[in-house]
Amino acid sequence: MKHELRLPVEPEKLKALNLGDIVYLNGLLVTARDQAHRRILESNSSNTLPPSFKTLKNSAIYHCGPIIQEKRSSYRIISGGPTTSQRMDSLQNQVVEVLQVKFIIGKGGMKSLNTQNYKVVYLSYTGGCGALINKKVKEIIQVVWKDLGICEAVWFLDVENFGPLIVTQLNGKSLYI
Amino acid sequence: MLQEKIETAIIDILTRVTIKPRPKIIEILNKNFKSEQSEIARAQLIMMLENFKYGKKNKIPVCQDTGMLNFFIELGSNFPLISNYRDLIDRAVQRATKLIPLRGNSVDPITNENPETNTGINVPPIYLRIVDNKNTLKIIVFPKGGGAENISKLFMLNPSNGINIFQEKIIDVLKDAGGMPCPPILLGIGIGGDAVLCMKLAKEALLRQIEVRNQREDIARLEMELLEKVNALHIGPMGLGGSLTCIDVHIEIAMRHPASFPVGLIVQCYSHRWASFEMDRNGVIIDET
Repeated sequence: MKHELRLPVEPEKLKALNLGDIVYLNGLLVTARDQAHRRILESNSSNTLPPSFKTLKNSAIYHCGPIIQEKRSSYRIISGGPTTSQRMDSLQNQVVEVLQVKFIIGKGGMKSLNTQNYKVVYLSYTGGCGALINKKVKEIIQVVWKDLGICEAVWFLDVENFGPLIVTQLNGKSLYI
Repeated sequence: MLQEKIETAIIDILTRVTIKPRPKIIEILNKNFKSEQSEIARAQLIMMLENFKYGKKNKIPVCQDTGMLNFFIELGSNFPLISNYRDLIDRAVQRATKLIPLRGNSVDPITNENPETNTGINVPPIYLRIVDNKNTLKIIVFPKGGGAENISKLFMLNPSNGINIFQEKIIDVLKDAGGMPCPPILLGIGIGGDAVLCMKLAKEALLRQIEVRNQREDIARLEMELLEKVNALHIGPMGLGGSLTCIDVHIEIAMRHPASFPVGLIVQCYSHRWASFEMDRNGVIIDET
């Protein structure tokens, strides 16, 4: 089944999803990978998490280190497929707890992600498909922690028709072999 | 000047290599798409093929991970002497990084600083081979993405049973990795030599043309055996199940030390990219791959 969802999502809508369903997302999501996950937890425990992270409630984290071109202080995404999610495995449940996001988007799945009771849903985007993202990002809203480098920074993206994403981990079940 | 011609040729191959995979990959994914039964696997394959088409058409890096740029230089012993290969390659990589653009993939392992240049301490890696009695310079660039490279392994096995157990060691690694290295994958394997040499052979093995077997029949047989075993795992495209887990297995060997049985495994994602040029003494390109 195919679903088009707007971010932030109403949590009730997650219950209509099944493993193997296809999802297209519209609205605000953020990229975050290894260093960003660490920094989210560190700044949360020292009460220095930037206020913009509050806007991510019921939104999505995308495991991605994009290629971004900077021209006269405006940014353009060139290529941005997913990175291997498993690297964030040990920090992910805590980050979900802090940011209250409802989707993790990445590739390859996560061994200890707690998806019980629709706490969060894992969506798989086909690895290596970076170029196609180029037409899915309407706008780069802002960048946080650029000192981590282009690839590790947190990019707030306004996406349109972002997909096809496949529901691969949901409510304690997984499609991974 | 010859240096400038080499620099331009390197930027050219870096541009080509980021926007399209090896042609054989597209052929194999297309063929598998026709026979694949799993709907989810088919959905992955169609995305991969669409992405390749879109990247090539719009000249966009097909994958945001433009890799660690491995350079293999085959320097003909009669090619004119140049004093500054490292400088020349660094400069070409820095220019290409801005121009294409490439992702900045060189990070200081201690401080995490990223100069966003793809250059820095000891990178890009350059492997030089001098070819006797030859007039030409051949440079191959092989960008290696992190997701697949992370699955790579070195096994220092026991000579008494190394040949019998290396396949199951590799299968265990791949089973555990599942969708992480972006399957369908390719495997480069080096057997023998020492710890460094077998890993280097494994990486170079990936530069052999797909579906071309090792010339030695016993090694070719090992390649076919392992290919069959990996595909029997049914990990499938992106680890979501399916008939195609591994596109090809290439094995290269070197003589081993009597006490050692080293096996190097380098894993490559389906977005398999490398490009090369060969130049004559006057700086004229005589071959491109």
